[in-house]
Amino acid sequence: MSENVFETILENRCSQPQQLIEVLQDVQETFGYISEEAMTAVSKELGVPVIEVYRVANYYKAFSLAPRGRHVITVCMGTACHVRGAPRMLDEVRGQLGIEPGQTTPDKMFTLERVNCLGACALGPVVVLDGKYHRNMTPNKLRKLVQSVQQAEKEVEADAA
Amino acid sequence: MPPKLNTLEDLKQFRESLTSREAKVTTTITICGGTGCQASGSVKVIESLKAELAANGLTDTVKVRVTGCHGFCEQGPIMVIDPANIFYCRVSPDDVPEIVSETIRKNQVIEHLLYTDPTSGEKITKEADIPFYRAQDRVLLSQNRRIDPCSIEDYIAIGGYSALVKVLGGMTAEQVIQEIKRSGLRGRGGGGYPTGQKWQQCREAAGDEKYVICNADEGDPGAYMDRSVLEGNPHAILEGMLIGSYAVGANQGYIYVRNEYPLAVSNARKAIEQAKLFGFLGDDILGRHFFDIEIMRGAGAFVCGESTALMASLEGKVGEPRPKDVHTVQEGLWNKPTCLNNVETWANVPLIINKGAAWFASKGTKGSKGTKIFALTGRVKNTGLVEVAMGTSLRTIIHSIGGGPNDGVAIKAVQTGGPSGGCLPAEKFDLPVDFETLAEAGSMVGSGGMVVMDERTCMVDVAKYFIAFLQDESCGKCVPCRLGLGRMLEILTDITEGRGKPEQLDLLEDLGETMTHTCLCALGKTAANPVLSTLRYFRQEYESHIQDKYCSAGVCRELIQYSIDPNNCTGCGACLKACPNKAITGESEKPHRINQDLCSRCGICKDVCKFEAISIC
Amino acid sequence: MQEYVNITIDGAKISAIRGTSVLDTAMEYGICIPHLCHYPGLSDIGACRLCIVEHIVNGKAKVTASCTLNVAEGMVIRTDTDRIKRLRRNIAELLVAQAPNSRAIQDVAVRCGVKQVRYPFHNDNCVLCGRCVRVCAEMWQAKALGFVGRGKDRHVDFPFGRKPDFCKSCNTCIDICPMTITPCPGPMKTGEEYLCLACEGQLIMADSLPGACVWCDLGKGFQCTRQVQAG
Repeated sequence: MSENVFETILENRCSQPQQLIEVLQDVQETFGYISEEAMTAVSKELGVPVIEVYRVANYYKAFSLAPRGRHVITVCMGTACHVRGAPRMLDEVRGQLGIEPGQTTPDKMFTLERVNCLGACALGPVVVLDGKYHRNMTPNKLRKLVQSVQQAEKEVEADAA
Repeated sequence: MPPKLNTLEDLKQFRESLTSREAKVTTTITICGGTGCQASGSVKVIESLKAELAANGLTDTVKVRVTGCHGFCEQGPIMVIDPANIFYCRVSPDDVPEIVSETIRKNQVIEHLLYTDPTSGEKITKEADIPFYRAQDRVLLSQNRRIDPCSIEDYIAIGGYSALVKVLGGMTAEQVIQEIKRSGLRGRGGGGYPTGQKWQQCREAAGDEKYVICNADEGDPGAYMDRSVLEGNPHAILEGMLIGSYAVGANQGYIYVRNEYPLAVSNARKAIEQAKLFGFLGDDILGRHFFDIEIMRGAGAFVCGESTALMASLEGKVGEPRPKDVHTVQEGLWNKPTCLNNVETWANVPLIINKGAAWFASKGTKGSKGTKIFALTGRVKNTGLVEVAMGTSLRTIIHSIGGGPNDGVAIKAVQTGGPSGGCLPAEKFDLPVDFETLAEAGSMVGSGGMVVMDERTCMVDVAKYFIAFLQDESCGKCVPCRLGLGRMLEILTDITEGRGKPEQLDLLEDLGETMTHTCLCALGKTAANPVLSTLRYFRQEYESHIQDKYCSAGVCRELIQYSIDPNNCTGCGACLKACPNKAITGESEKPHRINQDLCSRCGICKDVCKFEAISIC
Repeated sequence: MQEYVNITIDGAKISAIRGTSVLDTAMEYGICIPHLCHYPGLSDIGACRLCIVEHIVNGKAKVTASCTLNVAEGMVIRTDTDRIKRLRRNIAELLVAQAPNSRAIQDVAVRCGVKQVRYPFHNDNCVLCGRCVRVCAEMWQAKALGFVGRGKDRHVDFPFGRKPDFCKSCNTCIDICPMTITPCPGPMKTGEEYLCLACEGQLIMADSLPGACVWCDLGKGFQCTRQVQAG
């Protein structure tokens, strides 16, 4: 199944080295991370030396080389958010989930990431959870938000069992 | 089948047909659908509004227009009802039924939805009366308010594409370049290079294959002007690039958009589709030109805002800058002549063609013409996007438009120009925003980020923040940037953690000067500015951190302690629950205590305490 | 058919071959400009910034790297102004504070006049000069090595961190690396690094013969191209 998805991403891009970043974006969006197999296949199809694919995958923040958690918490660390206390969001997650930016919880539920500016500066501190933007965040609100996700997962598990 | 719009008369007739199409509409409700208002929930408001109007049989007479960012994000979701020009802010889906039944049907204003001016305390009904907007010169931004970014018809209705028709209908490339030169337009991305000159150099460069690029990477944290313009008015950029491509002789263009702006990417893509449909892009543009635009996304690298790094990224490589002894107008993308300009620069081009170079040059100072959009954020009452004529003073922007300090805490400094810029103290607020003036003062206009700081901000911590940011984003190729930033951060960390030595201040300046002259790219060359400007204007803060191990703003965690005043503490336990390090102990209704060994001095406890029992010492 | 252009370096009128860099031209004429990432036969990337010079244009002096600046008719260059010497010394100081455990880096520091190191020493074993990457890509066309990561995480690595099967183990990357020769007094223990001034005497000689490069042991760790040419 994933073979087909992969082929779709590479379609019409054979021997086009300039499409490397766009291709890796698609791989990241589809699979949540970029695997070694993916990089090797992209190298062959696009005609880019494998070291270059590896370099590009490592260079840009949008790409992650390890699978991420089911829920991604992104904290904006831009200047306006920083001045309004964004570092406390990281403190809160460190205390509540025990992870630093770039890390994933052992149960693979949450990944914490920091981003350098989302462009929603008047609403800072901003936290994005699973693609949804949350404005004027405080550590308290973040704690409740994380708890609600944990609660929702428990309920899904209970239903399934 | 879209109409063929080849002449100004064609456009005029099309505009008239659009107006007559709306003859039955008596009321227009404008709702902001930009990223900021979406974060505040405008999508649900729009849904409920459409449903409520349908339920009331009002769909024919009441038009709902979803626009891009108005730039007043803190008040969002924003709704404006015309023709009465009633301005509602912080609208929630629950307010919708009342809005329809009272305001739409009965013309009654709903008090609690009106904007309250933070300085005077009065409620203001009309959008046009809001002091924040009135004090600005919203030449560009006002367009966002009037159009749905996903509708090319809206853009044409306000005069869009008439500049392109005018250019292709009767101007030569040289005439276009002269007009841009006469306007005095300078790059709005930070470099401030005269746009007309850049276009001329690109035109004169040898080669048949040329490119134009729109830099929408907007990496400066705290800046979101480009997001607003690209999201809310993508056609203005397309039109600008079309005119530019004709002037320099390029047939392919790229818009490089930051990965973190998904809505801007999607709106720009839609705009390109529509422009193609209407014959404004593609193989045959009004019979005089052919040009295509492709959108390419960034992948999370601040350094890709630098033009050579951006071009490397477009070529599918790592975004590392290269030396610019040969400029990109000669050898840029794929080593071909390339004209790269910022979003705001491109968006100004149709205005200049339509209203004339003299009009543009009538605003601003001798060296800096036209208007500029700033993202005013931080510790000020009114935050948002501010568009003013160049030459306006910082004081006007921060106090008159921004409303001055919030929470009654005195404003200490303003940071302009992002990580490449610097901090200017309150004594310098009479300086006009002008490229040369701010650069001489040790900062820069930059891309437009303007972060206001008050007495609760530690300037050493601000310098450390920017250096940490730059170190994180540095490409790492050249020694002075990679190692220099590392050592600067080492020293600043020493100072903020109480290990600073007096000679380190001179070392910071020496290192900063070295970086300014020897780094490979402009980002490296300006990387020392946050440190150099804070040393210039706030040296006493550095000195007190070093000599007295004292942080006057109470920010530097190693130099402060939090303590609970047993006289005020009610034992409610809120701080105990909130502490991420479980450093607070105490019994219910008895004064609590902080264990200093476990305390990380994050300050969360002080925020949650309702009895002002926790203080910094 | 080679074309020549006339340029001036430190007041000396020089006939330079069009298409060559200011650095190559200067070295050819015996004007020694310190450098690290430059290596004859490999492309120049302008990473170390040691080869900076002042390029005088319209009366203004622009500081730029000479390895990436190509000669042009009428160009005026200064390699030895006080400002250049100070800037070069600061860059060399950063390098030696980062990686003192290398003869080449200690040579560079002394050559650039570093007399004190104002930063705490680290003990890195790579200065990211990129010679290994370029020789693998350009001379052997193998591309088995590359710069991976950004900023302070930038390092040289194989794809996926493993030596690929198309690496022929030619060891040119090791031979060309400036870090492989130990400093004169021997390897430095972590925590006990220092600036070695053993070659200072050589420098005093070099200073007394302006514009000339001294055939000194200084070049050994440096892999100075003039030493290499001598065989």
